Amino acid sequence: MGNSSSGQSSTPDSETKTSAAAVKASTGTTSDSSHALVTPGADASSQSGAQSDEHWSNPLRDPSDLRLPRIAGPCSLVIFGVTGDLSKKKLLPAIYDLANRGLLPAGFGLIGFGRRDWSDEQFGNFVKENMQAHCRTPFKETTWSHLAKGLRFVQGNFDDEQAFTNLSKTVSELDRDRGTMGNHAFYMSVPPKAFPEVSRQLAKSGLSHSTKGAWRRVIIEKPFGHDLKSAKELDRVISSVFDPESVFRIDHYLGKETVQNILALRFANMMFEPVWNANYVSHVQITMAEDIGIGGRAGYYDGIGAARDVIQNHLLQLMALTAMEEPVSFSAADLTAEKTKVLSAIRVPKDLEHYTARGQYADGWQGSEKVVGYLNEKGIDKTSTTETYAALRLDVDTRRWAGVPFYLRTGKRLGKRVTEIALEFKRAPHLPFETTATRELGANAIVIRIQPDEGVTLRFGAKVPGTAMEVRDVSMDFSYGRSFTESSPEAYERLILDVLLGDPPLFPTTEEVNLSWNILDPVEEYWSTLGQPQPYASGTWGPAQSDEMLERDGNHWRLP
Amino acid sequence: MIVTLSQTTTSAISSKIENLHKERGEVALGRVLTMLICTTSDNLESTLETANEASREHPCRVIAIVDAERNKHEDPRLDAQVRFGADAGAGEIIILKPYGNLTRHLDTLVIPLLVPDAPVVAWWPTRVPEDPSKDALGAMARNRITDALRAPNPEAAFTALRAHWSSQDVDMSWTRLTRWRALAAALLDQPPHLAVVSARVTGQSHYLPVDLLAAWLAVRLEVPVTLDQKTSEHAITGIYLTREDSSVVSIERHNDEDQAMITQAGAQAQAIAMPMRTLEECLSEELRRLDPDEIYAEVINRGWGMIDHD
Repeated sequence: MGNSSSGQSSTPDSETKTSAAAVKASTGTTSDSSHALVTPGADASSQSGAQSDEHWSNPLRDPSDLRLPRIAGPCSLVIFGVTGDLSKKKLLPAIYDLANRGLLPAGFGLIGFGRRDWSDEQFGNFVKENMQAHCRTPFKETTWSHLAKGLRFVQGNFDDEQAFTNLSKTVSELDRDRGTMGNHAFYMSVPPKAFPEVSRQLAKSGLSHSTKGAWRRVIIEKPFGHDLKSAKELDRVISSVFDPESVFRIDHYLGKETVQNILALRFANMMFEPVWNANYVSHVQITMAEDIGIGGRAGYYDGIGAARDVIQNHLLQLMALTAMEEPVSFSAADLTAEKTKVLSAIRVPKDLEHYTARGQYADGWQGSEKVVGYLNEKGIDKTSTTETYAALRLDVDTRRWAGVPFYLRTGKRLGKRVTEIALEFKRAPHLPFETTATRELGANAIVIRIQPDEGVTLRFGAKVPGTAMEVRDVSMDFSYGRSFTESSPEAYERLILDVLLGDPPLFPTTEEVNLSWNILDPVEEYWSTLGQPQPYASGTWGPAQSDEMLERDGNHWRLP
Repeated sequence: MIVTLSQTTTSAISSKIENLHKERGEVALGRVLTMLICTTSDNLESTLETANEASREHPCRVIAIVDAERNKHEDPRLDAQVRFGADAGAGEIIILKPYGNLTRHLDTLVIPLLVPDAPVVAWWPTRVPEDPSKDALGAMARNRITDALRAPNPEAAFTALRAHWSSQDVDMSWTRLTRWRALAAALLDQPPHLAVVSARVTGQSHYLPVDLLAAWLAVRLEVPVTLDQKTSEHAITGIYLTREDSSVVSIERHNDEDQAMITQAGAQAQAIAMPMRTLEECLSEELRRLDPDEIYAEVINRGWGMIDHD
């Protein structure tokens, strides 16, 4: 149609006009036909309204207009567990920063739900204090005063029906006074044990159901269960209350920024993908090390352990991103498809005794500080068999990765805080040098550093200056912080904004969660038959068992 | 740290920078671009302050060429200054003061000092060249940022810019609008999703961003847009969109307040924080994307004529 009507005057502009007109025309026809089908009246008009809503394309938006930020529509956020650490240090400051960057709507509402007997004003002071203490962007009174108007506090316990009725009232008040239009997100910053209870209460008070044209979303943080069975049960409970598209599973260690950085590195470049396979890679090491102990999380951590806490979600997600094939697009569905594929191809070693390792930190010196062992931590049973260090070898049964072991390790009270993915390459098949020349040459490596100092390191050999021929390892380094912004948005800012915009792409889906448990369950089952995990001194890189595991394959853990 | 080099050469400057990098244990590889700034000594410090702020987001090497116009009849000579560390944001600053014949080939003057294999951005904070793409420095830049609003005669400057526009040029009058545009777009994201039938923009007389905002609305909405400009107003003060059911939604900001009011039929007016944009924010936004801005192109080439300007 565009060809025949615009003829020789077919400039890009006139083309846009015709296509816009075509869209308008087709919208017209659909709403007309819906009128014809439904009896006239209030119902019919709302129906056609909904129809045209689907076809609404905002004329002020254009994909090539890259300057325009997306601002969340009218809504409020309800935080359960608002007095907790996560909320104080991350959620509240992230909300302030979003507001300060102008990405929250006018009339944004923030409701805290907690046990304390607070007035809205006391809650306000608490929020202000924490926002001021931890915000990333400068603290401005004007931004704060706008936010402050939308603050509410609801006092109560999770088993208190009256509290949820109050919450329901507060939410409708916000709809009325602040124009939040029935759009509300619920952030479950509470222990997973409480999820079912809170979900039930939300359902009972009618809060989980959205009215027409409005949305309700729920945000839950890991862990998603402690094995496949409980994960499914949790999913059943939550999806009986919220529909699946409204459930956002958050993995804040794996912020969208990090995921997109990995995707860009792998798929935007020519030079990495050709060697990203078993022909060149000898093995892959994925590490997430923490230098802290369990701190005040004894109640949560004991019985869960390092593998369930970290491997099931963070490390397996990182592994999936490293090992997956190129998605056909970066849309949520296509990305999930590739991750799911690779997760389903992961094989757990048959020889669990030799290819898994677990440890428990003992008394020792963490750098310059004397620290107690796990069994002496407050609130931990002296006979606890919970592991604070876990490592295992996994294989991927695909042509790309056949024969390449993936070693995953995580632990508390290790040498330092670091998360990285390292691809170690095979040695060159032939080295045209005297053997003395390459004695110091290690394997080439690509290291994707996730934290701290996010970036990429390449390690390769270079000649040592001087007359003798000698090759030694050197590093080439790229750091996001140095080449781009010094003040990149916090992961939580992006997470919260994505939820408010209803933009879920990179959150793990139920299927991914289930597949991950599938991988970990046999390992956990085996471990449960063993006694005490092998102790390791705090501040070191884990138990001897783990080093032996790699040595068996002729490999060594990197020293990150 | 500030090192002054009078009566110097570009190779002396290069080796000074190299030595300083070595001494200070820094690497220059992190610089993602070179920013060329054409300015005068009166504006130099404030301009560099802005550039320093922006460099925290985009580590760059800044090369400021000072008073080239003023000194073109002097004897040829080059004075320079190199700034590092606390005096230079997240990069380094080279200030060049060319005299005489040197002012006639500024391009070859800066070529030895550019960051290798990195884009070049040219910024004219006040004076606007007639044709940025033909300017000696502008020609080698991948992006050319002008600021007609701060030129001695903004309207004449912008007329010239429009006449000589090329796809790599952007004027900061456009950058100043982004918050307004974002709010307007966010407003139309919300139901009721009814077509807009007319629009009105209010603001200060002879203030370019007002005209550009109106032109953008005209291009995007394909509806009549009226301009309502008063000398008593300051900057942009409002956008009013009339929908097909003749309800009006508006965004207003008066008296340089830090907030805007959003008004919709059937709902309470809502305040939202919207402080005036600073020059640093505008410059950072410009450096964030170095590809041609197609929307801006459409606005100044097509939209501009759809509006009755003052």
